[in-house]
Amino acid sequence: MSDDLVARAQAGDQTAFRELYRQHAGRVYALCLRLTGDGRDAEERTQDVFVRLWDKLRSFRGDSAFSSWLHRLAVNVVLNERRTTGRRERRVMSAEDPDTVVGAQHAAPLHLNIDLERAIAELPDGAREVFVLYDIEGYGHGEIAQLVGIAEGTSKAQLFRARRLLREKLER
Amino acid sequence: MNEQELHDAVSRLPKSIEPPRDLWPGIEARLARSGAWRRWYWVPLALAAVLVFLLIARAERSAWDVTALAGRPLIGTTRLAASGRLRVGDWLQTDDSSRALIAVGRIGQVEVRPDTRVQLVVAKANEHRLALARGTIDAKVDAVPRLFFVETPAGTAIDLGCAYTLETDSLGNGLLHVTAGEVEFQTGSHASRVLLGALMQIRPTTGPGIPYVEGAPAPFVRALIAFDFAQRGTRARAIRTVLALARPQDALSLWHVLQRVDPALRGVVYDRLAALVPPPPGVTRRAAIALESRALEGYWTKIQRIHFRMMVLRGVREIDPRTGLAKP
Repeated sequence: MSDDLVARAQAGDQTAFRELYRQHAGRVYALCLRLTGDGRDAEERTQDVFVRLWDKLRSFRGDSAFSSWLHRLAVNVVLNERRTTGRRERRVMSAEDPDTVVGAQHAAPLHLNIDLERAIAELPDGAREVFVLYDIEGYGHGEIAQLVGIAEGTSKAQLFRARRLLREKLER
Repeated sequence: MNEQELHDAVSRLPKSIEPPRDLWPGIEARLARSGAWRRWYWVPLALAAVLVFLLIARAERSAWDVTALAGRPLIGTTRLAASGRLRVGDWLQTDDSSRALIAVGRIGQVEVRPDTRVQLVVAKANEHRLALARGTIDAKVDAVPRLFFVETPAGTAIDLGCAYTLETDSLGNGLLHVTAGEVEFQTGSHASRVLLGALMQIRPTTGPGIPYVEGAPAPFVRALIAFDFAQRGTRARAIRTVLALARPQDALSLWHVLQRVDPALRGVVYDRLAALVPPPPGVTRRAAIALESRALEGYWTKIQRIHFRMMVLRGVREIDPRTGLAKP
């Protein structure tokens, strides 16, 4: 059970921590991939998240579900990295990237998801981050403003822009 | 593509994408390089040292601090003035005008309300256990799960990192109300999991009932209680009412119902649950109806995530109780 794994990992059990990685890597990687728009960056950030998790694990007190807590940690790691380095080139998913999307269950035709994933990756950084956090991950504008370090109005404007750009890209 | 079509397409995106290569070796190497793994090697040694210290201070360890909040509670036959110590085996009793605060080792506190009788059963670093014979306590624990237990005449409340109010009469009729985190309530035969913002009835012979959220419609709660504790004929009627009245935010109740109905009814309960909160990827109808633990745990994780999100963002953001996502 996840609770038991978390408790064991908090007590320093490396095997339990590895199992936590196995259980949550897909969810964290998906978030990193969409926030960064780049497969290689996403791999690095996923590793950053789990290294950071090992340090922070003892501060998890169960006030929320572990997966939600980890998700928030991952968002912070990705956004902090961006703030720290200040680098952010506009990136486009490479040709082989669509293969990485396979693996989860799809309710829609695969090509639609791949088109949408690619279109999201091609969004400008600010618009992509707000779109991923709001429309995919369910954060509110207030939370996003805090996380990203922008005004709430900017978050709304970026979301509007992202949706418009996505619709345009997908109609082409 | 219009706004709605975009929204629909986004909602179908997979929540999980496996990395194209195994990232674990890189993570393990970085932890080893940074000394983080090594630092943890000291934890068992440190724990052992603490254990030795605690063994030496054994007499001190087997007692918790108690403070009188009102009136003069009794410890054994001694009236508590301002503060004192509750030792293993001691009973603390409040009358109708007294209250007390027990420090649960170093992990939390329990407020003992009036007309309550409680005993310290175990006071160890890895197990903190009280027996609540009757009355009401408010517990708040800040520790890893399964360190704090409260025995009642009907079963045991197990802390999973939380705050809660637990009341019981001397026969075991009671109510559990969780205000933070999660509590598991166990008897010999079965267990219930109660999330923050949820309540659960307790009865002496049947143990924990089905948890339900605060503000659940009264007819729904009445039907749940009838299902839990009434005669067999009444249960069949009650289950029909429960299924008819259940809302997406009642998924945590249906998850428990699924495991307690007769096998022949599991299909209809599952279908209702799945209609309210779709199962996560990997959870199949067959596995859930067979009560396979992996399927049940997977479903519970999703229900738990949505529930926590709704509670945490209550009043801030309207959350779709079917998905846990913010409503546009």
